[in-house]
Amino acid sequence: MSAQTYKKSEDPHSGSLPDKMAIYQDCLNRFNESPVNPKLCRTLITSLLELLSHGETFPRQEATALFFSISKLFQHPNDSLRQIVYVAIKELCGISDDILMATSSIMKDVQNGSDLVKPNAIRALIRVLDESTAFSAERLLKNSLVSKHPSICSASLVSSYHLLPIAETTVKRFANETQEAVGDLKQLPYPDENSRYYPTTSHISQYHALGLLYQLKNHDKMALIKLIQQFAGHSSPLKNQLAQVQMVKFVHQLVLKDPNSIPQFLPLIANWLQSRHEAVALEACKLTASLSNLVPNDLFAAAVSVLQGFLSTPRVTTRFAAVRLLNKISMVSPEKIVVCNPQLESLVNDSNRNISTYTITTLLKTGTDKNIGSLIKTITKFIHEVNDDFKIIIIDAIRTLSLNFPEECDTILHFLMESLQSAEGSLQFKNSVVEALIDLIQFVPQSKEKALEELCDFIEDCEYNEILVRILHLLGKEGPTTKNPSLYVRHIYNRVILENSIIRSAAVLSLSKFALVKNDPELVESIEQLLTQIKTDSDDEVRDRASIALQFIDSVKSKKDVSNIAQNFIRPTSTYDVVALESKLSHYLSQGQEAFKTPFDVSSVAKYSEDEKKALDLKRRQEQAFNHTEESSNSGAGNGNGTEKGGRKGDRLDDNSFNGPSLESEEEDLLLSKYVDEMSSLEQFQSFGKCIHSSKIVPLTEIEAEFVVKGIKHLFDEHVVLQFHITNTLKDVALDNVEVVCQQEGLSEGLLDEQEEFVLPIERLLPNEGESCYVSFKKLTQNKDDIIVERFSNSLKFQSKELDPSTSLPFEDDEGFQDEYEFDSLFLSPGDYMKPSFVSNFATSLEELPYESVSVYNIVETNTLQEVIDKLVISAGGLPLENSQIVSHDATQHTLKLSGKCILDNTKALLSIKMIKTSKGIAIKALVKSDKESLAEDLSNNLI
Amino acid sequence: MGNFFSSMFDRLLGAEKELRILILGLDGAGKTTILYRLQIGEVITTKPTIGFNVETLNYKNLKLNVWDLGGQTSIRPYWRCYYANTAAVIFVVDSTDKDRMNIASKELHLMLQEEELQDSALLVFANKQDQPGALSASEVSKELNLAELKDRSWSIVASSAIKGEGITEGLDWLIDVIKEEQM
Ligand SMILES: Nc1nc2c(ncn2[C@@H]2O[C@H](COP(=O)(O)OP(=O)(O)O)[C@@H](O)[C@H]2O)c(=O)[nH]1
Ligand SMILES: [Mg+2]
Repeated sequence: MSAQTYKKSEDPHSGSLPDKMAIYQDCLNRFNESPVNPKLCRTLITSLLELLSHGETFPRQEATALFFSISKLFQHPNDSLRQIVYVAIKELCGISDDILMATSSIMKDVQNGSDLVKPNAIRALIRVLDESTAFSAERLLKNSLVSKHPSICSASLVSSYHLLPIAETTVKRFANETQEAVGDLKQLPYPDENSRYYPTTSHISQYHALGLLYQLKNHDKMALIKLIQQFAGHSSPLKNQLAQVQMVKFVHQLVLKDPNSIPQFLPLIANWLQSRHEAVALEACKLTASLSNLVPNDLFAAAVSVLQGFLSTPRVTTRFAAVRLLNKISMVSPEKIVVCNPQLESLVNDSNRNISTYTITTLLKTGTDKNIGSLIKTITKFIHEVNDDFKIIIIDAIRTLSLNFPEECDTILHFLMESLQSAEGSLQFKNSVVEALIDLIQFVPQSKEKALEELCDFIEDCEYNEILVRILHLLGKEGPTTKNPSLYVRHIYNRVILENSIIRSAAVLSLSKFALVKNDPELVESIEQLLTQIKTDSDDEVRDRASIALQFIDSVKSKKDVSNIAQNFIRPTSTYDVVALESKLSHYLSQGQEAFKTPFDVSSVAKYSEDEKKALDLKRRQEQAFNHTEESSNSGAGNGNGTEKGGRKGDRLDDNSFNGPSLESEEEDLLLSKYVDEMSSLEQFQSFGKCIHSSKIVPLTEIEAEFVVKGIKHLFDEHVVLQFHITNTLKDVALDNVEVVCQQEGLSEGLLDEQEEFVLPIERLLPNEGESCYVSFKKLTQNKDDIIVERFSNSLKFQSKELDPSTSLPFEDDEGFQDEYEFDSLFLSPGDYMKPSFVSNFATSLEELPYESVSVYNIVETNTLQEVIDKLVISAGGLPLENSQIVSHDATQHTLKLSGKCILDNTKALLSIKMIKTSKGIAIKALVKSDKESLAEDLSNNLI
Repeated sequence: MGNFFSSMFDRLLGAEKELRILILGLDGAGKTTILYRLQIGEVITTKPTIGFNVETLNYKNLKLNVWDLGGQTSIRPYWRCYYANTAAVIFVVDSTDKDRMNIASKELHLMLQEEELQDSALLVFANKQDQPGALSASEVSKELNLAELKDRSWSIVASSAIKGEGITEGLDWLIDVIKEEQM
């Protein structure tokens, strides 16, 4: 067999695909014949369709010729020929012109054709219709919608769905017929009484009807609720399981938008969980899981038990779906699925590797200190058998595990080192292992020295530059504070002797950090010796780095380095916020030559110290865990959007891509830095000095309001500036002289001038424009470290002027109409003075802090614990630790643990806030401990 | 005698042979009404034809393949896609639509110039004769300049599709001509 023929037979199509030109010619000749030979034509069209389905296509002119020749086959009444003619018309519609020529003939079939061809005719019809011709097909489609024949009904439902973006007004009139089709249980006609097999239907038309109905009512929440009440529940007429799944998704969508509506749906969800259709029960489980803390525990338990049952079904897809969902739950509330562990353990060796991988990672999260060891043993055996993607999933799971079970760090470290050293695995995989190790070292201090030593061994024989460089950096960062720094120096220096220049230069940086180790002059001296030797290196970069490091070390040693500049170069105490740095740099670069005359101002980019960075990392980790579960809930509900125009054909079902919270928060950060830039570029604020801190953006109105207002609090040494960003959403009104009037409530007790210094109004706000108004207050205290807390109630004052439609500007002589608009108050809270900060052991750190302040609050409003927690996290501004920012739905008490630092002077503060829910409300006892007495008091007294 | 000829004619053409006939004319002239009058013998309510209708009917032992093409301005350009192998053209004129006689005439002559239609017979229906003020067949003939036609068998028949008058007479003439020409 020659190489060529061998290749051909490998691809089943390349050899057997008919010749395009021959088919084209044959079609033109045969279809124009009279009389038509139906059998032959059918075969020809089949070949044509085969070509098209393999991606072959025809130029417009040829496609149009084909279309016309095929249209001639309408002269033959043969049903099976007609069916394939319709398939061909559907395919050609996209690439051919003048498709409307088939309209009348198709409509005739829809009206008078046999039941066999009607569905095909309907599906072809909507391809040739446009907005105007759709109108003339309205009656026909309506009649088909109420057809007793399930296939005809389905075809017209699906077709109307696709017609919606093309002819919205027409399809909108189908609501009644569609509604009827949802409840109608259509039977295939003509059961053959002599036969045992008689046609049954899946009632799929119910699903199609629901899909269409949803599109028709998409924008009306009340209508959707009515639809659910009508078609779900006890007397539900829905037999089709996909329709039932769809119902669950609708509910899902509603409750995500409005969590207050959850209670009314609970009985329904409970009912769905017991459905005899696995798909329905699974969907209900998904819904329950995504609501997590918002549903009662017993319902959640019921869902878990359904999933537990599915773990042992013989159907792979069901097992997979169940274990995947359990895996998602395990990321947020592992304790809730511990009951499934026996079933999960039996799936560890499932022949489907996807299932076993999810199983393992789930088990890792639900693991207890008792079984972690044995689990890791199982994984060690198993990890060789899965591909890299799954390996990375496993490593990620292990990484979270290390944070939850610090006692197990030895086992975990051993496992990670083995994975790192094993011969298999891509760079990406190894990198994820290194990341896990870095986490371990950062967040589990007791593992640090051992892990570093292991890494030293590893770099003696590591093939990846990238990884080596990362590890060298890590050794330089962590090594100097270990018991025996010189151990690392030896290993690092080995790299200088043995490796390429990239690694050598990384090693130089790393080495130089050891010169800062206190009380070990011998070590410092040998570092200097080593660096001096390196100055003769063959590579420029390596030599330069060594020379400059020696200079720095010298100035540190000779105490010339008064302001620690050199020291900071060797071992920076803080790093820039990389995201902000990037966006500011690219903005700077985009400004062009003129702007380059002034150098880039790096001081405007936030810097994070070591533990702030850890806090950020941990926060991001927490958000990621949520992100995963949210994802499952958002990918649901059929919500393509019905108003979108122009897309000619189909394929618009359901692609609602998900934007995770982390993405949102990143955008939010960028927006904030934009607003801050706006503020700091204003002349009036130049004399205020550097802005110490800007708060997050606080929404002060609903986003649907006429005027959308957002507030930001800026703190300066001697001033407090409130920025109000106002967007005018009215279509035909301009606002002139817009200013915000702020009224203090008096919490600041003489620390802040009651009267504002000045207000910067907005001259004119045209429709859809957004701009900022500023209100500035002067501090009355001389002490920069005083924490000022105040609540500002606000209203907007402006002249509203109608727009002249011809100029889109206000009429020249319009005096305007003085108006006022109130919006939410803005609270300058103690949280605005706090930044998140990480401590690895909350309990001991709390013990250690000297000053303490306790206050007690009582909330009478009927808030849930979770709502109170969410508020506290914002008003106190610290980093929630030990997942204490989440509370289970029916818990009656909880302790929130927060850790932060004051932005004014970096004093530490930890908050342990106990809350108890009683019939009278929620009682709160806040314990705040700090390095500074006043900070502890300020925090504890102003939490709410 | 006639019987003898017609049966011989059948044999000559073969039982399979179908005759292709096009019905053309401006929109609203009554083409679709005529087609279904011929096929089911009744007047149906019509909508403007977007595209075409095609029906096979048996007429005097002949299988006729009749194509009724839409007459709107936007659809007329596509008539030519259906000219091939056409035995005869039936051109329908609304005899009351005096304003558009010249347009009808222009379309007719334009069509008859087509190579593919050189051998086709032409039957013109001066339709809607039941309406008051309808032009007579000879008046329509004058408006359409039918006298100019050379080398073509043609005829004009006054008709009312609604009342069913003139239709079979016209078709009978057409069939006879076709038979003669095919002989
Ligand atoms: N009074 C009258 N009306 C007719 C006659 N033939 C057709 N019509 C009407 O003319 C209108 C257009 O007919 P239609 O067959 O759709 O014309 P087409 O566009 O040529 O197919 C319809 O309302 C018919 O009822 C006729 O002989 N007399
Ligand atoms: Mg018509």
